[in-house]
Amino acid sequence: MGIALKFENVSKRFILHPQQPRSLQEMVIQTLKGNRSSKQELWALKDLTLEVQEGETLGIVGPNGAGKSTLLKLIARILDVTSGRIIVNGKVSALLELGTGFHPDLTGRENIFLNGSLLGLSRRDMLNKFDEIVEFAELEQFIDVPVKHYSSGMLIRLGFSIATNVEPDILLIDEVLAVGDQHFQAKCLARMEEIKERETTIIFVSHSLEMVRGLCNKAIWLDGGVLRATGEPERVADLYLQGVAGDERPLEEKRRWGTREVEIVNVRFLNSKGDKLSVFETGERMIARIEYEAHTKVERPVFGVAIYRNDGLQVNGPNTKASDFPIPWVEGKGQVDYVIDSLPLLVGTYRFSASVYDHHLFHAYDHHHLLYSFVVKRGEAAETHELFYIPSRWEHRQA
Amino acid sequence: MFAKIRELIEYRDLVRNLVGRDLKVRYKNSFLGFFWSLLNPLAMMVVFTVVFTIMLPNSALERFPVFVLCALLPWNFFSSSVMTSIHSIVGNAHLIKKVYFPREVLPLSTVLANLVNFLLALIVLFAMMFALRTPLTRWALLLPVIIFIQLIFTLGLAFFLSTVNVFYRDTAMIMDVAMLAWFFLTPVFYPITILPQYYPTLFGFSLDVQRLAYILNPMASLIASYRVILYHGVPPALDFLFRTLVTALAFLVGGYLVFLRYSRVFAEEL
Repeated sequence: MGIALKFENVSKRFILHPQQPRSLQEMVIQTLKGNRSSKQELWALKDLTLEVQEGETLGIVGPNGAGKSTLLKLIARILDVTSGRIIVNGKVSALLELGTGFHPDLTGRENIFLNGSLLGLSRRDMLNKFDEIVEFAELEQFIDVPVKHYSSGMLIRLGFSIATNVEPDILLIDEVLAVGDQHFQAKCLARMEEIKERETTIIFVSHSLEMVRGLCNKAIWLDGGVLRATGEPERVADLYLQGVAGDERPLEEKRRWGTREVEIVNVRFLNSKGDKLSVFETGERMIARIEYEAHTKVERPVFGVAIYRNDGLQVNGPNTKASDFPIPWVEGKGQVDYVIDSLPLLVGTYRFSASVYDHHLFHAYDHHHLLYSFVVKRGEAAETHELFYIPSRWEHRQA
Repeated sequence: MFAKIRELIEYRDLVRNLVGRDLKVRYKNSFLGFFWSLLNPLAMMVVFTVVFTIMLPNSALERFPVFVLCALLPWNFFSSSVMTSIHSIVGNAHLIKKVYFPREVLPLSTVLANLVNFLLALIVLFAMMFALRTPLTRWALLLPVIIFIQLIFTLGLAFFLSTVNVFYRDTAMIMDVAMLAWFFLTPVFYPITILPQYYPTLFGFSLDVQRLAYILNPMASLIASYRVILYHGVPPALDFLFRTLVTALAFLVGGYLVFLRYSRVFAEEL
């Protein structure tokens, strides 16, 4: 097997001009004012070296702004490298945004040919693939209707169908599989497996670690344009999760407030064995330990916590008062444990707040808003997606 | 550059589809659709015939509508090509940022779509010539050659201007005015012979204005050639045509090189 793709010390720099003159007028004004537009540099990729074998499926994980999309655009030749060299063997097709280049006034049929030629296919190739594209997109009835009358789901189906039917040697996919209805998603996944079997090299960017684990046979973790890890998808995904969770940010004053008669010194997450961790499995015991220090004697304080999903959805927000767990007074150092016997949360990254208030929940002594985070990875539970594992069972009776 | 041209040939179906798209979309929601390509020049000719034979009869030039139209149609091809291709890169930013294809396809297909319209309009011109009893001589067979030279020149300009417009959006505004001035500097409505032959300057030299108009303005040469073979029906000066071809080729190569140099950063600049 040969090499499909090779990056040799590739760097990509973007020059950000906060106010680049886009017209002569602006240029003259800026020159007169004497403010040379301050150029800012952004290195989207730094000295990246990488090799992908033919037929491999490479998953790329990393936070927003890690350079994942830049990497794909460099392979697709949409962007040009600043330094280094990229060697691509074979025809590349990119699923960067489905339905790019559809013209609303043209029919589905006309758009298929236009889009196919945009991806570099000849008219004869497109004639051969036409029926399959239409069939896969399930648009037989609407193929001669202008696409402006299509629903967004129909457009996505058509876009995906065209892009995966062009039979590239290297297929680039950027987060597009998370669209469409359940039925079509399943079809997309099946199509991906098919493409894999054809020995097509796939480069796959996703926030879904599950998909990276399931589809890829190699993964890389990009962060700030630098390769943080590379290898088996399982291992890279785990490293990535730990990396994200272990990201200890400085206490930002904006996210911390209170008069500090009682101060929260630290918050740790522990498992049943008492190990300090940041990654838990669904169904595991998890203890959030709040270590405090009371500088004077404070009566009837109320400790509270809150769990948020990474997108900001608040999952819960219990406190010692509402849970009827009164603490008569605190003085000096101590700790409060919030114990979850069986963690019901499913795979994902969660953020955590801890606070201590007066008895009336009116006055904040110390509030740490979203300063902590932990990650839940796949455990024994059969369910993985969405938010909660709800203990339940199925029953069935034939009438 | 040759590798680029080979790639362009691979993408010829894209050019064809984009030309088709331009033409289809242009008339998509109009009642008469594609017939406008014919009706538009026809209506223009009616206007000119009325204006120049009834309102302002020009006795000096016989068959004045033909005289004007065999210059005006090529000019319209030129000016609409330039003015639409200026926007061809900026207007397709969504494509350039998401898909790779040779970027030169965009100005190329814009100009070719205008060429198709021009060719359709020529049908109307020939009908008009027939109606006004303008004999076609064998020199009319040179028409494809002249159209080809004009195409080369127009493409060169289209490549250059569409690139500049990515970096300075004033280009389109400036060209609006420039094209108007250019129109009047080009002998479309008048024969070049009405310009003074010699114009004395302060320093005792005299300028050959007519000669200068041709040397500095390739469009003047092209328009004059159209008129010579269609309206006058006489052979064009071949050395003159050849010089225009060389100028046009220089424009094309220069414009294309500029385009290639900067097209690599289009996706970042848009």
